[in-house]
Amino acid sequence: MSDLKPMTALGGADPVRLTLGALTLTENAELALASLALRRDTIVGSGRPIPLGLTLPDPGGWVGLEGVAAFWTGPGQWMIEAEEAAGGDFAALVKTAAPDCSVTEQTDAWVAFEITSSQGEGPLVGLLEKLANLDAALFRPGHATRTAIEHMSCYIIRRAEDRLAILGMRTLANSLWHTLTQAASRLQLAA
Amino acid sequence: MLIPHPLLGPRDAGEFTYLGDARLLERPDGLGPDAPAAFHDYVYLRDNIAGVQRELWFHEQGDRSWLVVTRDTLTHEILKAELARDVVLARKEAGK
Repeated sequence: MSDLKPMTALGGADPVRLTLGALTLTENAELALASLALRRDTIVGSGRPIPLGLTLPDPGGWVGLEGVAAFWTGPGQWMIEAEEAAGGDFAALVKTAAPDCSVTEQTDAWVAFEITSSQGEGPLVGLLEKLANLDAALFRPGHATRTAIEHMSCYIIRRAEDRLAILGMRTLANSLWHTLTQAASRLQLAA
Repeated sequence: MLIPHPLLGPRDAGEFTYLGDARLLERPDGLGPDAPAAFHDYVYLRDNIAGVQRELWFHEQGDRSWLVVTRDTLTHEILKAELARDVVLARKEAGK
């Protein structure tokens, strides 16, 4: 038998972590993802399911509990996240929790980068202003949206005052990493 | 240019792609007796309005929803944006 070893999205054996000034960027290789969509006949029906205890958020929103989270991706559609669960069959777990919904495995389609700030929200807002055409000051904790970063379609999630997550297409992981580290290092130079 | 997305608020127009006249939502019946003529008009004929026009925009780099955007072609002012889904459902409910 071949001795196969898993690679992270950036191609290494271990997730990459880099600190630039106040910002620390980490490749989150253990984040499991599954999309959850309401069926057409349930959209007007008796309200939303509550998978894994998550109250599915309104448009542009993100909610997080211990280890699991959900964010809105489109009308009647959400992405469900789970920490430290990329190795398992997370979609099956979500399907069991919400049997009336369409659930699709998404873990291997995305690369997730977690960005934390050691100096409060200032550096994160500065980074967001550089990265995307969003109103960074209004993008508060609990907000999540999809937008373009250098022509790459990404989800941006404000997990907390000092924490931001960016999910991009896995095949473009290195390009996205380059973009993020460039922006962070220029922010560091400007400071 | 900003497009006031009905669910997400003002969003940069760069996130959207443009399809064309919102009358494209009114697709003729392909099995009707006058289908060839109706489809000719549907595919080829457009009004070239200098003024208020309804257009289909796709939020491609966003939530992937189709919008019906009402825009003044003389000033580029955007007067209204609705979810195309709601527009079609409202028309169906109106019994068309």
